[in-house]
Amino acid sequence: MLRLVSSASKPSSAGVLAKVVVAPSSSRSSRRTFSSTTAKKADITLTVDGKEVTVPQGSALIQACEAAGATIPRFCYHDRLAIAGNCREGVMEFLLANHPLDCPICDQGGECDLQDQSMRYGADRTRFHEISGKRAVEDKDLGPLVKTSMNRCIQCTRCVRFANEVAGVEELGTTGRGNDMQIGTYVAKTMNSELSGNVVDLCPVGALTSKPYAFHARPWELKHTDSVDVLDAVGSNIRVDSRGLVVMRVQPRPNDDVNEEWISDKTRYAYDGLRFQRLTVPLVKQGDRFVTVSWEDALASVADGLVRSGAKGDEIKAIAGHLADTESLVALKDLLNRLGSDNTALDHVGGHAAPVHAVDVRSNYLFNSTIPGVEQADVILLVGTNPRHEAAVLNSRIRKSWLHTTLEVGLIGERVDTTYGYDYLGADAKALADFVAGKGEFAKKFKEAKRPLIIVGSSLVEHPDGAAIFNALAKFTEANKEKLITPEWNGFSVLQRAASRAAAYDIGFVPSKKASSTKPKFVYLLNADEVNPKDIPEDAFVVYQGHHGDLGAQLADVVLPGAAYTEKGMTWVNTEGRAQLGRAAVPPPGASREDWKIIRALSEIVGTPLPYDDILSLRDRMWEISPTLLRYDSLEPTSVDVALTGLKALAAGTANAKVTGEPIKKPIDNFYQTDPISRASVTMAQCTRAFVKGEDYGFSELSNASEAAFA
Amino acid sequence: MSLLRLCQQAVRQQTAARAACVATRNHATDSNIPQTTEQKQDAAITEAPQRDVVAADIVSGAPKELRHRVVRIFQPTRSTTQSGSGKSNRWRIDWDILPGAGRWENPLMGWASSADYMQGTRLSFRTKEDAIHFAEKQGWDYYVAATEIKRIPPKNYAENFLYKPDKLRLIRTK
Repeated sequence: MLRLVSSASKPSSAGVLAKVVVAPSSSRSSRRTFSSTTAKKADITLTVDGKEVTVPQGSALIQACEAAGATIPRFCYHDRLAIAGNCREGVMEFLLANHPLDCPICDQGGECDLQDQSMRYGADRTRFHEISGKRAVEDKDLGPLVKTSMNRCIQCTRCVRFANEVAGVEELGTTGRGNDMQIGTYVAKTMNSELSGNVVDLCPVGALTSKPYAFHARPWELKHTDSVDVLDAVGSNIRVDSRGLVVMRVQPRPNDDVNEEWISDKTRYAYDGLRFQRLTVPLVKQGDRFVTVSWEDALASVADGLVRSGAKGDEIKAIAGHLADTESLVALKDLLNRLGSDNTALDHVGGHAAPVHAVDVRSNYLFNSTIPGVEQADVILLVGTNPRHEAAVLNSRIRKSWLHTTLEVGLIGERVDTTYGYDYLGADAKALADFVAGKGEFAKKFKEAKRPLIIVGSSLVEHPDGAAIFNALAKFTEANKEKLITPEWNGFSVLQRAASRAAAYDIGFVPSKKASSTKPKFVYLLNADEVNPKDIPEDAFVVYQGHHGDLGAQLADVVLPGAAYTEKGMTWVNTEGRAQLGRAAVPPPGASREDWKIIRALSEIVGTPLPYDDILSLRDRMWEISPTLLRYDSLEPTSVDVALTGLKALAAGTANAKVTGEPIKKPIDNFYQTDPISRASVTMAQCTRAFVKGEDYGFSELSNASEAAFA
Repeated sequence: MSLLRLCQQAVRQQTAARAACVATRNHATDSNIPQTTEQKQDAAITEAPQRDVVAADIVSGAPKELRHRVVRIFQPTRSTTQSGSGKSNRWRIDWDILPGAGRWENPLMGWASSADYMQGTRLSFRTKEDAIHFAEKQGWDYYVAATEIKRIPPKNYAENFLYKPDKLRLIRTK
């Protein structure tokens, strides 16, 4: 049942409402403390089908009916898009006059609004006897992700509204009027947006369907598994649709606290990477080649390698990568600590040492404002981050707020296209110093803001000036604590970009100072595929545990095959610190195993058995470390005092940092290939060609061949 | 019938009076199962909290291994491909897949085979409480997944024509 609540975003989401609410907040702002919530809206009670419902003022009638449990058939109306009012759509027969009756060969068949509604409300025979036949429209090429079949288009304009409002693609639009109206990009152009896959879901008919998924499966054959995405740190809720042993597609799962109902194209389409380059059997390097061995032999050769390498204490090093789940991180840290090592490093530039913000206080490395909270900010400063590529779904929230409120955005770092306008402050630590000193137009806007927000990029931890920048930001936040750190609002947010990072910081998967300067003799790579091979000593014994034969496996002496995120039900902590439970949709291929079990088995062989035998007792151990790891789907806010203590510690810890003045670079050059799964994906490779390199990706397929040939 | 009663009796740990009552009823039927000696109860042992749950798993014939698997009680979310919210009101119970060899590709036909006898089972309930009651009755460990969070702001056609004082931020190509 739909529960209508008043908008969590700023109060101009509705026409009538806006006048009522915006006016007092701007003219009499002095009277309203900034901590007050949105003004109380009048509720309206009305009777639908004899049932009384109460909805907030300004709601549409269709929303009230929905709240009363009476669903009105709709095509153009969508909860998350502006209202179009293409009302002629309401007449089924008009729609079907021009809609091809090709449901048996249409990918939307089985999950099509038009199909369902014509089954329910439509006529059972046609009165359509036009000699000229049905309207024919040329198909458009929107790139390697979205397949078009424009004959089927019913011109609901949901895709255009999505492109305009959410994705920020102004190229997609309509031309012509009435029967001749067409959706397209005016000139042959691909739909270059990292959220473009969502138009496939939005399309109520089969005009826009998924190109990689075309003709692969039918919706009723698929098994749905609710899970969590791990290809960025947002933790988008997804539904993994599988058939047999294969993941057929990934769909978003609505959750207004995280991803609304959008997911990025990488989340949606990188699933074919799960089929390629997989590690399915344990491998041991003999000479210059890998030899397949049994699990027993592989684990024995790891234990043997540990002894032969002579590694003692901190010389045993573990590096945890982007896709390591929380359970295996905990198990690996416990194992290393039991072996007497504190050398638990992370897989990023400078990850061999503890991060500059330290991990003692959670609010120093989490996205404290929360993802929905971004919409409450009235000025946002982005420092060293491009949310469009690091957290595409979050970026759409900033755009939404920017469109509907007077939000101002400033950026320090490399110039990027963010889909919203911003004031560019500079590329280095000096620009930040100027901002802190109050120089420039934007600093003034920031001072006047009621709910200012600073979003700090995760790449700053890797930057030589990272310490200095964090120092400046911590001092600035502390100095402006009456606005930035209040019981209702924490405006200092760090945006992580790796799914495992927040969990790794939470459990303290960082090396001690002594350990970070020790030269390792034994290196354990857990899903670590971003390592610089030069950082691993030549004579060290290297073990790789992970699911893809990417960079890390090449460096290894022993390869232990683990499970990918669709194959294990594990805990993931997103950038806000929100723990979410993923679920296994398909079994891991071949002899690969769940990662924590591999580490548990290895601990037995190296002679320091870990004290947990099943996932429940491992989660008990996680509870001991931090209860937040198991409080699923909820957030544990940091109190003002603790947050300020954390900032003080951060400022003190980075007090001696020198500024080199090196410009900040964006950490992600190619949004489509950031991890072993997306690097193994054919679809992501095509996206890279079409959108990143701008190559004329396979336009021939649709524009030259007939539809029958393509089918 | 009387067997089921006996089982109920064993699990519930009834008070002496009620147990006696049930025992008499058992006696009245032509059951040849000997009466249990429920009457003597040790006051020193604290009783488990009484639950009004029929322990169906004792007589259901379900394999014991099923009790080692945690079930998930959840409400399916709306499918994003369609507007209708059908089937998202019910509560469902499902099982995690079996790790390892729970599924394989059948060499004969290439279809998916499974050793997991619960993989095709789909249980739907009207309410969360019904689902929890059922899981308790079967003796399954369960957890309840959080429901979908919906925050849909009021929508209004007039918003399309709102005057914005500053620079135009939204370019409409509809």
